[in-house]
Amino acid sequence: MKQDKKLLSQKFYDAMKKLEPRYPKKVALLLPALHEAQQERGWLPPEILDEIASYLEIHPAQVREVASFYTMYDLEPVGKYHFKFCTNIACALRGADALLEHCQKKWGIVCGETTSDQRFTLREEECLGACGTAPALMMNQQYYEGLDIAKLDALLESLE
Amino acid sequence: MSSEKSTTLFIEHFQPECRFLHYYLKEMEGYQGLKKAFGMSPSEVIEEVKSSQLRGRGGAGFPTGMKWGFIPKQSSVPKYLVCNADESEPGTFKDRDLMRYTPHLLLEGMLIGAYAIGARSGYIYIRGEYAREAVLLQEAIEEAYAARYLGSNIQGSGFDFELTVHRGAGAYICGEETALLNSLEGKRGEPRVKPPFPAQAGAFGGPTIVNNVETLACVPFILRRGGPWFAQLGKLEKSGGTRLFCLSGHVKKPGLYELPAAGVTLRELIYTYGGGILNDRKLKAVIPGGSSAPVLTAEEIDVVLDVEPLMKIGSMLGSAGVVVVSEDYCVVKLIQRIAKFYAHESCGQCTPCREGCRWMEEVLERIEHGKGRTQDLNLLLQIADNIQGKTLCALGDAAAGPVASFVKKFQSDFEAHIRGGKCPN
Amino acid sequence: MPQLTVDGRLVEFKLGEKVIEVAKRAGVFIPYFCYHPGLSVVAQCRMCAVEIEKMPKLQTACSTLAAEGMVVHTRSEKALQNQKSVMEFLLINHPLDCPICDKSGECDLQDFSYDYGDPYSRYTEERRTYIDVDMGSVIQKNMNRCIHCTRCIRFGEEIAGIREMVALQRGNQTEITTIEGKPLETQYAGNYADICPTGSLGLKDFRFKKRVWMLKKTPTICEGCSRGCNMEIHQDSQVIYRCVPRENLEVNRYWLCDEGRFHFRSYQKDRVLFPYFKGKAVDWSLALESCRNILRGKKLLVLVGSDLTQEEITLVQEVLALDHAGSLLFHFGTPGMSSVSEDGDADGILKRKSKTSNLHGLEHLGIRGWDGLGAQAEALLVVRAGRAQWGKLPSLPSVGLGVFQESEAKQLDVILPGLNFTEKDGSVMNFQGKLQFFRRAIAPQGQSKGLAELFMMLRRDKASEVGVAS
Repeated sequence: MKQDKKLLSQKFYDAMKKLEPRYPKKVALLLPALHEAQQERGWLPPEILDEIASYLEIHPAQVREVASFYTMYDLEPVGKYHFKFCTNIACALRGADALLEHCQKKWGIVCGETTSDQRFTLREEECLGACGTAPALMMNQQYYEGLDIAKLDALLESLE
Repeated sequence: MSSEKSTTLFIEHFQPECRFLHYYLKEMEGYQGLKKAFGMSPSEVIEEVKSSQLRGRGGAGFPTGMKWGFIPKQSSVPKYLVCNADESEPGTFKDRDLMRYTPHLLLEGMLIGAYAIGARSGYIYIRGEYAREAVLLQEAIEEAYAARYLGSNIQGSGFDFELTVHRGAGAYICGEETALLNSLEGKRGEPRVKPPFPAQAGAFGGPTIVNNVETLACVPFILRRGGPWFAQLGKLEKSGGTRLFCLSGHVKKPGLYELPAAGVTLRELIYTYGGGILNDRKLKAVIPGGSSAPVLTAEEIDVVLDVEPLMKIGSMLGSAGVVVVSEDYCVVKLIQRIAKFYAHESCGQCTPCREGCRWMEEVLERIEHGKGRTQDLNLLLQIADNIQGKTLCALGDAAAGPVASFVKKFQSDFEAHIRGGKCPN
Repeated sequence: MPQLTVDGRLVEFKLGEKVIEVAKRAGVFIPYFCYHPGLSVVAQCRMCAVEIEKMPKLQTACSTLAAEGMVVHTRSEKALQNQKSVMEFLLINHPLDCPICDKSGECDLQDFSYDYGDPYSRYTEERRTYIDVDMGSVIQKNMNRCIHCTRCIRFGEEIAGIREMVALQRGNQTEITTIEGKPLETQYAGNYADICPTGSLGLKDFRFKKRVWMLKKTPTICEGCSRGCNMEIHQDSQVIYRCVPRENLEVNRYWLCDEGRFHFRSYQKDRVLFPYFKGKAVDWSLALESCRNILRGKKLLVLVGSDLTQEEITLVQEVLALDHAGSLLFHFGTPGMSSVSEDGDADGILKRKSKTSNLHGLEHLGIRGWDGLGAQAEALLVVRAGRAQWGKLPSLPSVGLGVFQESEAKQLDVILPGLNFTEKDGSVMNFQGKLQFFRRAIAPQGQSKGLAELFMMLRRDKASEVGVAS
C-alpha cells in the first residue's frame, strides 16, 4: 500500500493541502482528490487510485468503491475529446437522439466507445441542467447548448 | 391571472456582468439582509423566515423556517449549513443561473442561515457537471472573503463563517440530502436510514441543515423587506415569494420564468408565457415538476402550479421543472427513457429500487421495441406498486409514480405498441 | 417499563431497543436479510417492514425504535404483500442454484422464499450476471447469488477492522467484491460465509463436501487461545466437516477467527493414533511395559499442556500424588509464556496471546508454568491434548500421553495416543475466569484413549487383565 515514488504532481498535493483544514476528516477530500487527479492525468488508472489511498490513509478498496460509484470519474482511458450527449427528456424532445446518431455515424463508433485514433469518446449523459437550451452536450467540462446538426458540425470542425 | 408585470427578485439580474460583488452591493442591496440579521437574535431570524412562508425550492416544499427551527440550540459537535446545489432533476435548470449570475445572493442567504442556526462552517455541494459554475462560485467566495463577508469576525459582527465549494461527480441520488452528506464525507452517495435526521446528526455527525440554492437565495430578500412582505408575493397562504419555473420541451419559448408562487396555472405558463406548443402542434402530455412528477394529460393543465394543488390531482410541483410534450413524440419512448434514468441513478442499496427500477426499464424497453405483451401493463403497475412507499429513500417513488401514471393515462398508446408489434410513431 | 403491542401480544422493552428485537422476545419472528444483531443497521433489504398504527407507510422493524404504546402488525395484508414483493425482487436475478449450492438447507433466501414468498416467478427478462473474483484461500465468491445485503461489507469494516470487501458500481450493477481479485487479508474471513444469507460467500474448505442436513451438531469450545470462543462442531459419520461460531455475547459474540475455525483440520492428518515406541507403532503391551520401565520409581518431571481440561489436570495431580510423590509438575503451552500475567489481547478482536484454551484453568488449580528447569529429574512425562507447544524438551527418558503429530514422535521414547478436544467431554477456564464446558462430538480416532483409561492401563502389570488388544 505504501508508495515511494509519487506519480501525482506537487500541484496536486498543494491543492489538497489547501483543502485539508476545511474538512474535519481527511477522507472527505476523496472526491476533490479524484477530480484533481483526473484533471491532471486525463483518467484514473489503478496506480493513481492507490496513491490517493496512500495519501488519505485509507484502504485502496475504499477509493475504488467511491470512484466507481460516480459517473464523472473515468476508470478507463478516454479520448482527447470526451463527448457526453444528454439524451434525457427535454433534450430527447428537442432532437438529441439525432445528434447522437450523427456522431456515431461520423466516427464509426457506438455509445461508450472511443475512436481508434483516441480522439473522440462518445457517451450518453443524463440531464445536464440545460433544458431551456436543449439539446445540450458536455465536452471536456464545457457545455454546448442549443445545438442542431449544423452547430454540432461547426463545433467538431473547430477541434484540433 | 394575466401576464401583468409582477415583482421579481432574480430574473432581471441573470446577466453575466451581474455576478460581481460591486454589482451586488450597488444594484441589489447586497449584504443588507445580513446586516439586519446581525442586529437580530438567531431565533428572531428564524421567526422572520417562518413568517415569510418560504418553502423549500428543491422539490420537497418543506417550510424553511420550520426546518431551521429543528436545529438544537446547543451542540457539543460543530453544526453545519449545507447548500444542495446538486440540481440533477431532469427538466430543472434554475439553480444553475442563480449560481452563475447571482452567486452573492446564495452566499448572503447562507450567511443568514448559518447565523440563525449557529453554524460556523458551510459547504456548497454542487453537481460535478457544473464545472464552470463552481469556478464562478469560487470567485464570488473569494470576493466575499476579501471584503470580510466570509471568514472570521464578519463585518465586525463577531460571527465567523467558513464556506467551501465541494463538487459532486455525477450522481442524481446525491440530491437526496443524506446521500449528499455521505458524498460530502468522502463516501458513496448512498442515502442514510432516517432517523437520525440531519438536524440531529448530519455532516460529520453534527446538526446540519441542507437547503436548496433557490431557497437560500430568497433569504436575503426576506431579511431586507420582512417576512410578511415576502409571504404576500405568493398567491396561496402556505406559499410565499416568487418561484423560478423551468419550462422546456415542445414550447416555443423554453427557459426560466419568475412568477409569484402559486401565481400561475400550467396552461398560463405554457401558452401565455411559453408561447404555446412548438410548431403549433397539439399538446399531448405535461410533466409538471421534474421527471419524478406523475404526468398530466392535456385535459389537466388548468391546475395552479403549486405544492398542494398538484398533490391534489395526483402529481407534484417538485423542482418546478415543467416539460411539455406534443403529439410529435412517442410517450412510451419517453417513459422508457425516464425509467432508464432512474435505473441508472439508483444507488442499489434497497431491494425494491435496485431490482424494481431495472425491471420496469426492461419491460418498457420491450414494449417500445414491439415485443410487449398484454399482461405487461398490469405487470408494470404492480411493480410500481411494490416499489412505492417501500424504499429507503424517495428515488423509488420518483421512478414508480411516473411509470404508473404514464401507463394509466396513456393506456391506448401502450396497447397500440403491443397490438401492432412496434412503435406506431 | 414501557410496553408495546406486537401482533396482539403485550411486551415490555428498554428504551433504545428496535421493534425487531422486541418482537423476537415476544415470540414473533420477523424475517430479515440485511439485519444482523452484531452489525450496524442499514434497513436495506426491506424484508422486515411491518405495519405500525398511526404511521402511514410500512416501517422497517430493524431500524424503528420501540415506543410506548406502539401497536405493531407483522402479518397484516400490507406487510405480507411487501414480503412477497421483496422475495420476488430478490429472486428475479438469483440463479436457480439450490441443487448445487452448499447453502441449501441453511439458506435464508430459500427459507424465506418458502415461508413468505410466492411460489412462481413472473420475470422473463435476461438475468444479470457477473464474473467471479478469486478472494483467496478461505472464501469462495459467487456474485450471481448475491442479494446485496451488505452484511459482508459491514463485517469487514466494523468487526474485522479492514474495508477490503466493498461495493463497486451502483444500482442494479452493484458488485460486492475485493479489489482486483486480491485475497482477503483478514484473519476472520470465515465469518463472511456465516453471515452471508445466501450461497454467495462460502467456505472453500467446505465446498461440495457435505449437505448441511446430514450434519450432526455438537456444542464445543475452541482450544485455539485463552478466549475459549463458543463453537459448534458439524460432523457426519464421525468425520468433522466444519466448525461454526456459537453466539456468546460475553466471550466471542457471533464470531470466530480462522485459526480457531479450521483448527480441527490439524488433527485429520499425520496424527499418532497408535502406541509408539521410538517413533514406530508397536503393540500396547510393549508400549505399556516400556512406559512402566521409564517411569516407575523415578523422580519425574511432569509437563502438562495448558490445553488439557480441568478434569484431566485433576486426574494427573491425583495419580502423581498416589504413585509419584515428589514429582515436579509444570504447565506449558505457548513458547515464551509461562504465566497468566503474560497473557493478553493479541489483535484487538478475538485472539489472545495464550495459544491454549486452559492456561487460566491450570493456574487456578495451582499449577505453575515451566521455566525450563527440572533437569535433575530422572524421567520426563508429557501430557498434552494436541494444541500446547513446547520449546525444547530436556534429554531424559520420556513418555507422552495424549495427542501428538508424526513429526513430534521421535522426541519422545514412548507415546500412548490420547483424545483431542473433539473426542471428549471437559471444561476449560478462559481469561475471564469463565468455566466453559464442551461435549464430545466424534468417537475417538484410531486407538486413542481417554487419560483415565491410559492411567488405569499403566497401573496394571499385565495387558491381558484389562482386555486390551496386543
